[in-house]
Amino acid sequence: MKVFIKSRRKNYRNYYRNYRKNQGKSHRVFFAGVLAFALLYVVWEAAAGLMGASIILPGPGETFRETLRLISGAGFWYSLGSTLLRGLAGFAVSFVLGLAAGFLAGKYPLFAGFIHPYMTIIRSTPLMALILIAIVWFPTEAVPVFAAVLMAFPVVCQNVASGVRAVDPGLVEMARVYRAGKRRLFARLYFPSLAPFLAAGISSGLGLAWRVVVAAEVLSQPLWGIGTGMQEAKMRLETPRVFAWTAAALLLSWLSDFGLSRFSSWKTDGRSL
Amino acid sequence: MTKGPGTEGSVTERFVTERAILVQNLCGGFADLVLFDDFSFSCAAGRTSVLLGPSGCGKTTLLNLLAGLLAPESGTLLVHGLPAGEARVSYLFQQPRLLPWLTVEQNLDFVLSPDIPRRERQARIREHLRQVSLEDAAGKYPGGLSGGMAQRAAMARAFCFESEALLMDEAFQGLDLPLKFSLIASFQALMTRRPKTTLFVTHDIREALLVGDDIFVLSQPPARIVFSLANPVPRSMRSPDCADFPHLEKDLFEALKPAP
Repeated sequence: MKVFIKSRRKNYRNYYRNYRKNQGKSHRVFFAGVLAFALLYVVWEAAAGLMGASIILPGPGETFRETLRLISGAGFWYSLGSTLLRGLAGFAVSFVLGLAAGFLAGKYPLFAGFIHPYMTIIRSTPLMALILIAIVWFPTEAVPVFAAVLMAFPVVCQNVASGVRAVDPGLVEMARVYRAGKRRLFARLYFPSLAPFLAAGISSGLGLAWRVVVAAEVLSQPLWGIGTGMQEAKMRLETPRVFAWTAAALLLSWLSDFGLSRFSSWKTDGRSL
Repeated sequence: MTKGPGTEGSVTERFVTERAILVQNLCGGFADLVLFDDFSFSCAAGRTSVLLGPSGCGKTTLLNLLAGLLAPESGTLLVHGLPAGEARVSYLFQQPRLLPWLTVEQNLDFVLSPDIPRRERQARIREHLRQVSLEDAAGKYPGGLSGGMAQRAAMARAFCFESEALLMDEAFQGLDLPLKFSLIASFQALMTRRPKTTLFVTHDIREALLVGDDIFVLSQPPARIVFSLANPVPRSMRSPDCADFPHLEKDLFEALKPAP
């Protein structure tokens, strides 16, 4: 016996999951990725061997050992946790703001025209200038959060705005004729059409937030943070340690990407379907 | 003269039966095009009326007005005595307009009030899908359906929705001939089971004869009814090779020709 009406949520997931599967992720594609890593390893190893000085370019093996040492050392988890919290806090704020602004911008061209200059200013101001100004204005701890909010905001906003614009007006007409209530309209029409754009916004906004937070930490030097550790290692000319901190930052953004892909199987390339 | 309540009721009833869809003194159009200038028209309850007209004569606009998606400049639009926009109407669009992230059955469920108990909704959905022979596709997503199947699903949805009238906008266009005929057959089957006042607009003479009980020919804008015809062939007898069709087709073709 077939189950007649399944839970809605599960079905969206299946829908997008099938969609992604059909995008064609074969073993060959996976193999190409492995090959890329192998090539990177070989070139890195060779370059490090030629240099012969780990103060300039530590090899992959040394970087790996140093990373292990870093992880087992005191304070590493404090630093990682602090950076994580800053990134998440900054992104959360810019997500809420971006959601609101993007909704308005997608719905009202006038509002889109109004915020466009601000977006352009934020996007074209050099990140470092922004951070330096923030250091003047804010306490050290708040600088990375502020920078992350400011940088991730336009990304989220723009994705939400394009998502709102991509809602098929034909479907909206259909829903109006068939008297869909507000709740149903949102749950079965607006949210599913917006979902891929939201996922794209979250994924690229959060990715940006990590990089911005680490950069801001390097300059503002809060007590704990990946950027703080990086800058200290650089001052002491411990290049392998700089590499190890970089690996930690990479790990952080990979983990967040992985978490997102688990969490949202409706993550697509933002195409309307 | 005093009117008893019974008399008044029957007068209203007769009025609604003969003019289930009523358009009176309609004026309106777009920026540089007057589509309707004092246009009046009505069609009878339970019958399929076809508006046959050239492209761009305002057929779709008229349907959108009746569905309440557009507002007229002036004039009266009534569907079963209720102003357009208040009356519940089903609308079969030119494209199926199914929600791509919902399965066929969920798409039908979309138009059923959540107040109806789930079991009853499921029964009704199943019943309608069976009538358009889509019961096997109930769990499929619209992306996995052929064009004909998708339009069938949209048709089931239109009949599933509780409504006063059905509006159809060239709903059989873009399908190959055999598919078109089988779709029309599905439509006739649904109509026989639960008759709905239907207004069908098309520019295809053959379709008009196959589907319509009453056929009205529209002129170039501003719209006027230039010719009308009650289909002499009963619904059950209509088929693409019907003997009466050739001369009826000729009449309609003559009427459609723009005046010199």
